[in-house]
Amino acid sequence: MNTPSIEIRHLKALVEDKIRHAYLEKYMQKPIIDEEKLTILAAIINNTALAANQKERYIITTMLVQVALDTHELVPKTNNSDESEELKLSKQLSVLAGDYYSGLYYLLLSEIEDFDLIHNLASAIKEINESKMKLYYSKESSFHEYTNLVKEIESILILKVAKYVDDTSLDYVASEWLLTNKLIQEKRKLVNNESSSFVDNWLRNTSQDSYTSTLNTIETIIEDKLQQLERSKLNLPVQYTAIKAHLDSRLNEYIRENISIAEEG
Amino acid sequence: MKIAKTYGYLKKDLDVIEESLNKVIKAEHPVLREASTDLLQAGGKRIRPVFVLLSGKLGNFDLNRIKTAAVSLELIHMATLVHDDVIDDSTLRRGKPTIKHLYDNRVAMYTGDYILASALEEITTIKDANIHRLLAQTIVEVCIGEIEQIKEKYNWDQELRHYLRRIKRKTALLIATSCKLGAIVSGLPEDQANKLYKYGYYIGMSYQIIDDVLDFTSTSKELGKPSGNDLLQGNVTLPVLYAMQDRSFNNLIRETFSNPENVVEEDMEAVLSGLQKTNAIERSYNLSDLYLQKALNALEEVPDQKAKQTLQDIAKYIGKRRS
Repeated sequence: MNTPSIEIRHLKALVEDKIRHAYLEKYMQKPIIDEEKLTILAAIINNTALAANQKERYIITTMLVQVALDTHELVPKTNNSDESEELKLSKQLSVLAGDYYSGLYYLLLSEIEDFDLIHNLASAIKEINESKMKLYYSKESSFHEYTNLVKEIESILILKVAKYVDDTSLDYVASEWLLTNKLIQEKRKLVNNESSSFVDNWLRNTSQDSYTSTLNTIETIIEDKLQQLERSKLNLPVQYTAIKAHLDSRLNEYIRENISIAEEG
Repeated sequence: MKIAKTYGYLKKDLDVIEESLNKVIKAEHPVLREASTDLLQAGGKRIRPVFVLLSGKLGNFDLNRIKTAAVSLELIHMATLVHDDVIDDSTLRRGKPTIKHLYDNRVAMYTGDYILASALEEITTIKDANIHRLLAQTIVEVCIGEIEQIKEKYNWDQELRHYLRRIKRKTALLIATSCKLGAIVSGLPEDQANKLYKYGYYIGMSYQIIDDVLDFTSTSKELGKPSGNDLLQGNVTLPVLYAMQDRSFNNLIRETFSNPENVVEEDMEAVLSGLQKTNAIERSYNLSDLYLQKALNALEEVPDQKAKQTLQDIAKYIGKRRS
């Protein structure tokens, strides 16, 4: 079944509608809804025999969990003793907003009495936080192991839902693409001289690497992953044509972006 | 008398709940595990599990099912505490270093999320729509209450009903929910479960009002923080709202907090003594007593059993709390 972009926009609007809160909006940056995860999730759920309203509920609640986790990532690691009132307020609201979105996922699923999905999403949250702790106190001996942890963090939620609806045929492509997408984002930050907590965290725990060598490693991994994805998407089941098209479009976008960076020198 | 004496006979059941709490939050990552278990070992009154147990004793008591509800509620409470310490930048809780202080905000956020998820994982082993609707609604309301608390900081023009709605969400709902969950799990009829919900709600209101009074009447040593600290943080509580009906106190507070970020502990002395000159403390206790009476009334039609007597004793204990 197709997941055209208009549907993704509609689903995104539904999630935005659920998390709408006047006071939070006034003092917090707008929560980012991860469109890559939304697209993959919609493809998986649309491929099930669930009723339309149930499909919508599954997608919205899973994305609420993702938004909740992402919002908590906005809380700074430490407090600055001379932080401005504005920063302090934004930090406090990020804590509460994340908890509020988590509460909403539970509420929406309890309304349709899907206790098993509540249970599964809760298990996913636990696993993600275990992996986040491993990443935070990273003792990985190689960058490859480090990125594997990132892959887990990026894909556990989607894979749990896929397993719940009994369709794991997208698992490999989903997890590889979500990692690749993350690496592309981090690479963009480095190229634009922006800070990357992903790279900072790696460098904090390793004495072997530098910023430049890490950027080179990221580029190499991205290239490898793109080649793997090119091959893997050919084997995707026919019902995932739209995902194939989506990946093609995103891969081409990345290639175009790189050509233009190379031309600009 | 300590409150724990009123329910001393629940010790065996509470030990089972304690053991289960330890099992449920056994994280794999050593820091996550240590942070969670430290928090658990710091103790606390476990008042929510007590309410679940007591309500449960009024019906067909099944410790296994009751334990699930009690553990989940306590974990939800614990998760909010860990995150609250990040919000308030607290270094101590129950006299011990907070997770955010021992580690950092990031670890506290992950630990709180992990504990909340553990609570939901646990409670969903019971498949009862009434339980989940009630609990989910409560969690959402508690979060809204906390957001409102931040929104209403230093708002000297807020009304009494804003304060009451805030403490309902902040404290009363989770206690009311504890009472009702115990009742539902034990199969009590709906009307009885609702009476217990009301009891919990009124007790929670009364408890929070007294807590807010104690912030002004207890010594810094008793509180473990400066007297009037809530107000210093911008939280406008019942004694302040009552005291502000006095024109000179109203002027004093507006003047003192004209630049809230510049107010220091020493500035609070005049405010505290100004508040003591009004009848705000007495009126606050009166309102707390009114809620306590309502709590006792809600219990009237609940069957006469030992657990009912304990619920009454707890209400009376809360009413007498002065430190």
